[in-house]
Amino acid sequence: MTDKIYVPADYVPILIQSLVALGFVALTMFATHFISSKRKRIRTLRKDENFECGIEVQGNARFPFSVKYFLVAILFVLFDVEIIFFYPWAINFLQMEWREFFVMLLFVALLLFGFYYIYEKGALEWNNDE
Amino acid sequence: MIFSKYLFFILSFIAIYAALKVLISKKPMHSVLYLTLTFFAIGGHYILLNAQFLAVVHIIVYAGAIMVLFIYTVMLLNLNIQGEFPKSRLAKFASAIAGGILLFTLIAVFRSYDLKVLADPSLNQIGLVKNLGKILFQDYYLPFELSSILFLAAMVGAVMLGKKDIY
Amino acid sequence: MKAIIALSILAVLNMFFGVRKMKKVLLPLIFIGLIITMILNISDWGKSVHYFNEMFIADNFSIAFSSVLILIGILIFMFANIYYKGVERPLEDIYALILFAIIGGIVMASFGNLILFFVGLETLSISFYVLAGSKKFDIASNEAAMKYFLTGSFATGFLLFGIALVYGVSGSFNLEAINTYILGCNGNVPMIFIAGMLLIFIGMSFKIAAVPFHFWSPDVYTGSPTLITAFMTTAGKVASIAAFYRLITIAFISLHSELTTTLTVIAVLTIIVGNLSAVYQDNLKRMFAYSGVAQSGYLLMALIVLGPKSAGILLFFVLSYVIATITAFAVLMLIREERGTFFIPAFRGLAKNNPVEAFAMAIAMMSLAGIPPLAGFMAKYNLFVLTAEGGYTWLVVVAVIGSMISIYFYFKPILASYFSEGEPQHKIESSVNFKINILVLSILMILLGFLPQVIINLL
Repeated sequence: MTDKIYVPADYVPILIQSLVALGFVALTMFATHFISSKRKRIRTLRKDENFECGIEVQGNARFPFSVKYFLVAILFVLFDVEIIFFYPWAINFLQMEWREFFVMLLFVALLLFGFYYIYEKGALEWNNDE
Repeated sequence: MIFSKYLFFILSFIAIYAALKVLISKKPMHSVLYLTLTFFAIGGHYILLNAQFLAVVHIIVYAGAIMVLFIYTVMLLNLNIQGEFPKSRLAKFASAIAGGILLFTLIAVFRSYDLKVLADPSLNQIGLVKNLGKILFQDYYLPFELSSILFLAAMVGAVMLGKKDIY
Repeated sequence: MKAIIALSILAVLNMFFGVRKMKKVLLPLIFIGLIITMILNISDWGKSVHYFNEMFIADNFSIAFSSVLILIGILIFMFANIYYKGVERPLEDIYALILFAIIGGIVMASFGNLILFFVGLETLSISFYVLAGSKKFDIASNEAAMKYFLTGSFATGFLLFGIALVYGVSGSFNLEAINTYILGCNGNVPMIFIAGMLLIFIGMSFKIAAVPFHFWSPDVYTGSPTLITAFMTTAGKVASIAAFYRLITIAFISLHSELTTTLTVIAVLTIIVGNLSAVYQDNLKRMFAYSGVAQSGYLLMALIVLGPKSAGILLFFVLSYVIATITAFAVLMLIREERGTFFIPAFRGLAKNNPVEAFAMAIAMMSLAGIPPLAGFMAKYNLFVLTAEGGYTWLVVVAVIGSMISIYFYFKPILASYFSEGEPQHKIESSVNFKINILVLSILMILLGFLPQVIINLL
């Protein structure tokens, strides 16, 4: 079995798909002006609010929030980057020797230990403010 | 392929324009969104170079995960405080000169180097996930394992800075 | 290699026991672990093993500098329980980060491949960024971490760009292969390669705080917790100068004659600016930051003239700097705890009430200033002789003038503690253990001054 030769042109379908997706959004936004009724759009202060739901908006969204969200986000990024490494490993799995398997095993072991550490430290708990 | 040449210029234009807008935009959130656009354009460049793994990783990690972090960071800032940080005229002048010299030098350096063989990047198969994986797990597994130590250090650091203790 | 594995296991164990809240276990565990690591590290002496396709080279140079890094770890942990006296928490995260930084430093002292070098540098730097901000409710510490992180990642960007350019032209990350590429160019090295190399040098100069790139160091070193400052100045400098030396002597050795001008300019500027800025500092911690800048200038001198002995002299210089700095910071830490200030008046009457501490501080400062017969003097003497033999007499003159300036500010705390008039400060209580530690370090500084050749001839 010979490996397929990949060229950038293989990505043309993806390009077309993203163009279609973008084009759909643009087209819809453009078309609404024509499809909607002939009457002029009613603009009021209430209707133009960002979160129009019947309850008065209080203050704005620009205030500092708890660092815990950020902690979760940063841990997510770390694990995300670690998981990326599984991809080339999995593709080569069939031709692999035991050594490569153990290389990954060690990597995952350290990753798991990191997760254990985070968990035990309570970084993922929310109700420990008392 | 003539098409990919035009694509290169389009992507480069988008990347540079968006990168400039990152710096110029007054609103931090706009900067972040323009940064995403830059990342996508660079991801396109990777595909043109046939570095598919890098392209996918770039979209997933940078345009996906890192941008989430950036947005969180912007939201952690207190944006109700308006106004710019004062910068002295001298600092602006000095940084413009320093940056200009760097740009000038780099352009001159790149121009002085003539590529003798114009390799067609689209036929290069080294950037594929499979070949990359082989190299990563056969030749470069020591840096790979050490990067797990690096991740562990980053995790410890994140947890430490995120907790409430004084030390 | 064994040292890295041992340290990783140690760090993981330390984190595990810390999470289990076994506070009492941690420091003994770390001491035993570090001593085992030291033994494992030295057991490879003389073998010069190359691991994983030249990825990691454990030659004598790397083993010697790794040993210095492990020694730094031992010394820092010696004073950790004093600095973190009142803390109830196990503090395993700070300890783990220190261990991770040492791992990064060891990698930086033994890499044979630029990728590994970068991973090591990042491990060291990321640990440092976090450690600088480890005193979370102190605004100065926050500022230090933020400044260090922003400027440091900027410099790392330059370094990475440089590595990319070098790789792009030479086609290899391997240090030997890069040298082969330079030799193959027959003196016609493309400018793009030179640009890449200089960008790498910019990154490295930032890491050792050489002069045009030193602006971060005073604020970062002043703001960070004192123990961490002691660790960062020593470990960061040792690891970076070892990496710099490796880069220059293996990868860029064929271009060395063209590099000397750049290095000389940086070294001269570093020595002059560092020493002159330190003169005006009243805050001792800030003074140490600037004097650390000046010391980087001396370290760079060892890279300008490469003789058969320059590695040994570099090792000896680094060793004497490490011991003196950590001793001085240990005393400084104690005084800060008691008096709440880093300024010179805090030393008033120290000799009367705390003779041991005053003695150790005096020895450390004199060693840093280069007063014979201490270790610091012998280090500087050998370095200057090496440089003069290489034909850089005027550089030696500049360095000697710098050293003479440095005597002024290094003697400020000594004068304050021994000869100051006015109301002496009250006595500081310190444990016997602490006294023994700093005494041993002082004696080591004196001993090293008499036996420099033992260390220098190691490499």
